[in-house]
Amino acid sequence: MKRIQFVFVIFIIATATIISCNDKRHPGRVYMPDMAYSRAYEAYAPYDELAKEGINYKNYPVEGTIRRGDLFPYTGTNDSSGYNRSASVKNPLPPLDSLGLNEAQRLFSINCAICHGPNMDAQGPIADKIGAVANLKIKPKLELPEGTIFHVMTYGKNNMGSYASQLNRKQRWMIVQYIKSEQAKEIAKSAVTPATSGADTTGAKK
Amino acid sequence: MNQNRRIIFKAIAGISFFLLLSYNSAFALDGQTIYKTYCASCHKPDKDFTGPALKGARDREPTKDWAYKWVNHVDDMVNTDPYAKTLLAKFGSKMTQFSDLKQDEIKAILDWADSYAPPNATPPPGGKPGESDNSLLYGLLTLILGIIALILLQVNSNLKKLSDEKSGKRVPNPVPFYRNKAYLLLGVIVLFLIGGYYTINAAIGLGRMKGYQPIQPIYYSHKVHAGTNQISCLYCHAGAQESKHANIPSVNVCMNCHMAIKEYAGDPIIREDGTTVNANAEIQKLYDYAGWNPVKKSFDRAGKQIEWVKIHNLPDHVYFNHSQHVKVGQQACQTCHGPIQEMPEVAQFAELSMGWCINCHRETKVQFNDDNGHGNKFYSIYERFHEDIRNKKYDSVTVEKIGGTECQKCHY
Repeated sequence: MKRIQFVFVIFIIATATIISCNDKRHPGRVYMPDMAYSRAYEAYAPYDELAKEGINYKNYPVEGTIRRGDLFPYTGTNDSSGYNRSASVKNPLPPLDSLGLNEAQRLFSINCAICHGPNMDAQGPIADKIGAVANLKIKPKLELPEGTIFHVMTYGKNNMGSYASQLNRKQRWMIVQYIKSEQAKEIAKSAVTPATSGADTTGAKK
Repeated sequence: MNQNRRIIFKAIAGISFFLLLSYNSAFALDGQTIYKTYCASCHKPDKDFTGPALKGARDREPTKDWAYKWVNHVDDMVNTDPYAKTLLAKFGSKMTQFSDLKQDEIKAILDWADSYAPPNATPPPGGKPGESDNSLLYGLLTLILGIIALILLQVNSNLKKLSDEKSGKRVPNPVPFYRNKAYLLLGVIVLFLIGGYYTINAAIGLGRMKGYQPIQPIYYSHKVHAGTNQISCLYCHAGAQESKHANIPSVNVCMNCHMAIKEYAGDPIIREDGTTVNANAEIQKLYDYAGWNPVKKSFDRAGKQIEWVKIHNLPDHVYFNHSQHVKVGQQACQTCHGPIQEMPEVAQFAELSMGWCINCHRETKVQFNDDNGHGNKFYSIYERFHEDIRNKKYDSVTVEKIGGTECQKCHY
């Protein structure tokens, strides 16, 4: 009888162990921790302690340096005078070919179309919730200079935030070209038929 | 001759009158379209938004034609007109001037807004369509069949005993079932199989975290953001196409939208234990992290990092690169992360085991560069494959064929 009890207890312990391993809120255990967890610094690991250990760590690039292949920094300032001066800033990129425009359109549909709409008519899926989203296909915005569009992307305006952390300078200028090319089509269209275009409410998403 | 001319003249006049009429009626219907093009981003027809509600605007304004002047002369009127000043004080920003809008267009918009009725909020259809679950039925059936089988076995053994007694055979004394060696052996084998199954599964699962669903510092619902609001994955995780890591968005990316979106108005978010998430409190948590003051609309405190808990972890001895899979391999995020857009709380979807990786590398076909410039320019160096495909040796090339299962690709 003792033996049966012993087996029974072992069985219960085993079951409890298995069940406790299935806790989804904890990552569980690994075979060889020294091979699974990095000894080196990993991305997003806290870096506050590194200085104490005598390790030199900078989470920003050195000031005044430019990443290889990147454009020169934008010198406009984040105030009204910078905004006014931005109109005279020229696009440093050569005109994009069709592949480049496709890429710019892809970037636009990821980052901008969510509010401004895939057709730039302020009919994006969340435009309704943000409010005051600019319709890029009508008069005041249709004539925005390239530099001003770039300035707004860099620093944000009203309800729009800065996109400098999501899009690098080249990508922002590419999107400026794409917007301008679409606006040019709109201007050409409205020159032929001066009627307001129907609003497309389908939030096509790539 | 004269009569003919008159008939033709009449016909032309009639047709042109008809055209004019139809043009006018088509134009009069346009209120909603013009509203969507010019006004919808700041005005709602029935309630105040960035600007005032449009419904009954002409009744509130000092004169009936005030709106027509206002839309065309915002920049002049905003500092001189007393009513414009009160509006500016109330809403805090001046309207964009639309010099091109004509009076009848503005009238069409306001007429449409006056007659606007909010779409009836249809209550969600009561009860889900009957999803009959058959497993209970099957369970009962199995139980009944099992009992019948047991009874039949008993009957069978009793009958055998009776017939043995009749024929005068000597029957050994019956043994209780827990001493019966056959039963014991059966029990041991069953226990061994069950125990073995669980032991081996647990051993394989050691170090794998499928289903891992940690509690995050903010209850962030991917279902609301990527599902309902259709935000592209790459909007927040832009690094997935450019670097080894799919970056965790910094707080400023959240604030791109949440500077304006202060409240959650969607369907209630229900946790697994049945409680409802207080979404507005979660947005407030974000403001605390960002140091944002939603009343003053400015960052008036020092912000701090949100320490999200990483869910998908690979051991240190495995190299994985997101851009290689997202940009070069053109894989959808959902291939490895599952239906993220339907997960209120993200859990690890895939096994992330080596067998799982290798299997995908064996089965996935490489998208070589096509004429439109899509696909993969990098693998254009594999001329041999192009020729073999051209010669119909095989119809596609998997990742394995271009070295995707070599050890050193991921372990070095």
